[in-house]
Formats: sequence, C-alpha cells, structure tokens
Amino acid sequence: MTRSKNTPLYLTAFLLFLGGVGYLCWSGFSENSIYFLNVAEARTLSPDKLVNARLFGTVAAEGMEKQAGGAGVVFRLEDKDNAAQTIQVAYSGVVPDTFKAGAEVIVEGAIKPDGRFAAKTLMTKCPSKYQKENRKS
Amino acid sequence: MYAFASTLQSVALLASLLGGGLALHDIWRGRADMLALIEKMHWVITGALTLASALLLHALYWHDFSVQYVASYTDLILPVFYRLTAFWAGQQGSLLFWALAVALGGTLFALTRAWRSLALETRLWHWVFFYAIMAFFTLILTTWSNPFVLQTPPRDGNGLNPLLQHPGMIFHPPLLFLGYGGFTVPACLALAQTLSGKRGTERAWFQLTRPFIILAWLFLSAGIALGAWWAYMELGWGGYWAWDPVENASLLPWLIGTAALHTLIIEDRCGKLGRVNVVMMVLTTVSAFFATYLVRSGVVESVHAFGDGSVGTPLTLFVLSGLLVAFWTACWAKGEGRPLAGPNSREGMLTLLAWTMLALALIILTATLWPQLSKLWSSAPRGLDAAFYNRVCLPLGALVVMIMAVCPWLRLSGGIRNKNALVGTAVCSLVGAAVVWAAGYRQPTALVATAASFGLVCNAILLLKNPSVLRSPPTLGALGAHLGMALITIGIAFSGPYAEDGDFMLEKGQSGRIRGYTATLLDVRDGRGPGYDYLAARVQIQEGEKILGLVTPERRIYDKFGNMQFSEVDVIPGLGDEIYASMLGLDTGNLVHVRISVKPLVNWLWIGCAMLCLLPLLCLWRSASAPSKDIKQSARNRPC
Repeated sequence: MTRSKNTPLYLTAFLLFLGGVGYLCWSGFSENSIYFLNVAEARTLSPDKLVNARLFGTVAAEGMEKQAGGAGVVFRLEDKDNAAQTIQVAYSGVVPDTFKAGAEVIVEGAIKPDGRFAAKTLMTKCPSKYQKENRKS
Repeated sequence: MYAFASTLQSVALLASLLGGGLALHDIWRGRADMLALIEKMHWVITGALTLASALLLHALYWHDFSVQYVASYTDLILPVFYRLTAFWAGQQGSLLFWALAVALGGTLFALTRAWRSLALETRLWHWVFFYAIMAFFTLILTTWSNPFVLQTPPRDGNGLNPLLQHPGMIFHPPLLFLGYGGFTVPACLALAQTLSGKRGTERAWFQLTRPFIILAWLFLSAGIALGAWWAYMELGWGGYWAWDPVENASLLPWLIGTAALHTLIIEDRCGKLGRVNVVMMVLTTVSAFFATYLVRSGVVESVHAFGDGSVGTPLTLFVLSGLLVAFWTACWAKGEGRPLAGPNSREGMLTLLAWTMLALALIILTATLWPQLSKLWSSAPRGLDAAFYNRVCLPLGALVVMIMAVCPWLRLSGGIRNKNALVGTAVCSLVGAAVVWAAGYRQPTALVATAASFGLVCNAILLLKNPSVLRSPPTLGALGAHLGMALITIGIAFSGPYAEDGDFMLEKGQSGRIRGYTATLLDVRDGRGPGYDYLAARVQIQEGEKILGLVTPERRIYDKFGNMQFSEVDVIPGLGDEIYASMLGLDTGNLVHVRISVKPLVNWLWIGCAMLCLLPLLCLWRSASAPSKDIKQSARNRPC
C-alpha cells in the first residue's frame, strides 16, 4: 500500500461522502428552516412570511383563557424586552405543567388571517436548576 | 468559614498559575530542576478544591442560607439526599464539581506507574496544559461564578423544582461533568507527548490514559442517557429527545469522543493517524467546554433556561485558545508518513466511521447555531426544527450502524477477513429488513437502521462463538457496547416514527381505544403525599379481552409551588409495546383528560443504553494487567 495508490481512493470516497451529506443538508435547510423570532421581530414581518415560525416570548398576565372544546389555551404573547409588543396565540393541545402568566414560552405555528398565531406546539422553558428566577411567580 | 472557602479557591488559582509558570520556565531553560515543586502544586489545588467542596456540602446539609447558593436551590423540607446533590444544582456548584473532578483526575494520574514512566519533558508539558485548565476553572470560580457568595440569610430557601427531584436528573449533571472532565488528562498528555518530542520513545499517551478515556466516555454516555430517560419519565410529553440546543450541546463531545475512540484503534494497532488523534482528543475536551458555553452563554434560545451568560466570554476565549493549541501542535508535530490501508479495509471503515461522527457533530453544531449565523445575512433570523435533525442526522446514524456491522469482517490492512461471517451478517440484515417490512414498518431510514442492527446482533453471536473473544474482556466490552448500540438503534427506529398518542376525555367507566388497546377509566382519587396534594386517575388497560394492568397517572400540586400542577406519568412496561399514560386534567364536568400513548420497543432503547454504559467497563481489564513494554513500538512493526 502506498500513499499514491490510496490517496485518490480516499479523495473519491470523501467527495462521495461530502456529496451525500451535502445533499441531505441542502434538502434539510431548504425545507425545514423556519423563522426564529421574538415577538417584536415577528410584528415587523408581513403575515405571509409567518406561515411557519417559532416565536419566543412571555405569557402576558391578562387575556389568558382555556380553549373551548378540549385541551388548549388562548393567551397573549409578550416580547421579553418590550411588553407593549404582543401577539395573540391560540393553542390546541396539551398545555405544559409549567405554563402560567409570566412564563417564558416558545410557540411554533403560523399566523392566521384573523391575526392570531395558531400554535401547533407550545413549550415552556425548562424549570432549570441553573436559573432560580424560574421558580419565582 | 465560607470566606475561607472562597480563599481556598483563590489558593487553587495561585497554585495553578505558579505551577504552570514554573513548568514553562523549566521548559524554556531546557531543564527540570523545579519539577518536584511543580508536581506538589496539584496536591495544593486538589486539597483546596476538596476542602471548598466539603464546606459547600456542609452549608447544604445544615441549611445555611447565608450562602446565596444554598438558599437558591434548597429549602428546609428538601430531603437530605436532594440537599446534598444540590452541590451541582446550580452553575456555580456544578463548575466547582467539574473543577474538582478534573483536579482529582490529575492527582490520580500522577500517582500511577504510568505517570512515573514518563520522561521529565513530557511531565513538564503535561503540567503546563493541566495547570492552565485548572487556572481557568479557578479563575471562573473566584470571579464570575463563585458558589460562596454570602447574603443576609432568608428564613427559608427557594427549594428545588419538583420536576428535578428525580434520580435521572440527580445523576445526569454529575455524570456529564465527569465525562467532560475525564478527557482532560488524556488531552493534556497527548499535547505534552507531542510537544516534548517523546512520542515513540515512551508508551503512547492513549495507552497510558486508557482508563481515563474509557471512563470519561462511559460517564458521558450515561449522563446523556439518564437525561433522556428523565425527560421521558418526568416531563410527561412522551419523548426523550427534542433536538433542543442544550441536548445537542452534550452530543458534540460524545460524537467527537466516539470518533476519537475509533481512530485511536488505528493508531493502537498500526501506529497511524498519530497527529489526527492528538487533535481529536483535544477537540473532545474543547467541545465539552463549548457545550458548556452553548448552555450557559444565552447565545441560542432553548427550552432550557440556563444561566445569565456571565461565563460566556471567558468560555469563548478558552475554547478558541484550545482549538489554536490543538491545531498548532498537530501542524508542529512530525508526520509519521505511513499511509492508511485502502477504503476496503477495517482502517478505511474506521476512518469512514470517524468522518460520519464528525460530520454529525458539525451538522448539529451548525444547525444549533443557525439562528445566530442567519443573522449575518438576514434581519429575521431563521432556525431549524426537529424535522431537520431527523431528516439529516438519522440517515447518518443508520450509516454508522451499517459500518459497525461490516467492520469486524474486514482485515485491518484490506480485504475480507471472514467471507462466511460477512455473508451471514448480510443475510441476517436482509431477513431482519424483510420481517420488519412484512410487519408493516416501512419508513426507509428506520428499515435500513433496523436491518443494520440485526446484522450487528448477528455479528455479536458469530464473534461470541470464537473462544479467543470469550477469553478477552476488552473485546467482550466492545462487543457489548456495539450490541447496546444495535438495541438503541432498534428502540429509536420504532419508538420514534411509530409511536401513537390518544387524548381521551373520559368519565368513570368510559373507555377509549388506541391501536388495539382499550383504556377504561375506573375512578379518580385524591390524596396527600409528602409536600404535595395529588389527583390520580386509575385507568385499566386491556388488549382485546386480556387485562394488561392498571396505570395511575397523577396531577400534583406542591406546597411550595403555588397553583402550578405537575404531571406524574405511569407506564405498563413491555419489551414490545409500552403503554405510557399521563393525566392532563379534570374539566368542570368531571371529565378526566388522559393521554395514552403506545411506544413500540422503547424499552430496547433503555436496555441498549444500559449495555452501552456498563459493559465497556470490561475494557478496563487490559489496563489493569497491561504489560509495561512499549506496545506502540511493537504495533508499528505489525503489517497494517
């Protein structure tokens, strides 16, 4: 075995490998990339761009109500830094244990013609050991 | 007393700086006349950090809320077990724990015969790197992240969130930190041996630190597995991996470390890839710090709310310095000039495995940072959802298992070692794929991964027929890890895409059906547990006419956490389907909202994790009885 004999083989194998991985990544980036926005950022975008987005914010103290006819919740999502910027979110599904007014949440879904953000997922920030503020309500 | 603990951390910092400085001075002067003093410094560091840790445990045990850290993570009713394990409950304590683990590792290594066999130059370089890392830790502990900050004691502490009062979450963090820390000694020695120019004249760094490498990898694997198990059993959403940035962060050192374990086989057996392995080991250690940076800096949004970012900048600088040192050392080191065997060899397959692992690490890293990276060209940042990771990472995971299935039957130098066994493995894979296809499971990646896993199981059976394998504990350990990986693959391939959830609103005596199972609500009971009130739904699960058992998921309200409700799931475990039940609530009409999920083969995932984390302990066997001869030299003479 000499270097000159194997180098082209490895180079070919590497290019094939790179091609395969590249194709996987390209298809993933083109089809699974969504907006990751704070509420204030989302408010500056036109609704047609928010057909698939993940929003980060805080649950507002006012305007929280149970979703009619099953599990779910309707609430206002505030921007973490600017509470004046809000979006109404409607979520149908299991509401996480730690969901409450003031909780930091992440919602994923799309904006509807009526201006509501229809969330298909709702995640509250993990009650981490590393941030005691999470436990102050 | 706690001011003394802070002072101890400062003493450790000074000792680290002094030890590292003296070691550099000796290297500069080309002599080792201060080595005895330099080597005493690790005793000072380990002693100071051990005493500081003991003082923190003392404060936790005695509810000393004058220490801000104790008040933040414990309260008067927290049981002593959770109180003491709150040592690593917060950022400051966990960094102290990590520093202590690294310090103890260094001291332990300095007490071994392996250490005494090293040349003086290698020892000096080792201390330069080791003390630099200790200085970094102790600098953070004395400045940005001090666990001994004092305050006017409140009457009671904040307490520990009930979701975190679970064995999985108690042992998950320390195991990760032991894993992160365990790679430090091998990485320092790899750099030291390269820079001292003693490679080839003394036993190789990876042979001398083999127990550290194996244990660090095991701890890291166990830490990740326990985190996944906790999420599955405690959070009530029924999943174990969400591709969240914080979860991804822990995978990076594991993937790079696993790639390193396999490229080290090539160096151990054939004396090749020496420089690559130095970089890989340093990269593993650096990626552990990078994982901490991702978790603590607040650079990416995550469902996990960690830290305030105070340690972000020092961690960034440290990671960049580590990368610089690793690549500079690799470039500086003399090349060994021995080419790899062809791609159709075991060397070739191990290289492909390492490429795949590294590609996975790079993809996960890029995808995790994508919201930040996309800000470079867009005002509205974009990120990647879980579907991206499943789409890109799972096929690469399937490729890894395929490589694992083929590899044992190839010769190191090229060509097929055992044609019959290779054919047997292929047949077994095809039969497995056909059975799974016939059973109606046709998701392509899951099918390929399962087929490869069947091949891997077949490999294990064939190899176990070989008496020399049975006589070699390290080989059995590696085989056990591979078998564990096969079971993990099968568990993921089925419990992920083929899980089914059913949400039911039931009144007493009513039933809901999900995939051949009937769930009947028997009744709802309330009661009182230690520190909480609960509401439990008793649900009977039947398969056809056969009663499988009762599940009693609960909603709990803890005294310390206001009106927040916490879900306590219940399962009927099974090697086929597992029935997973969570209670979601009780509506005003007394209808009980329960979720019943069917998780096919999920327990194979946990069995596989247990095998992966425990059986490689057998690999330590060789270290205990290793000959002191220069194994690397003899390896170089093998016809690889």
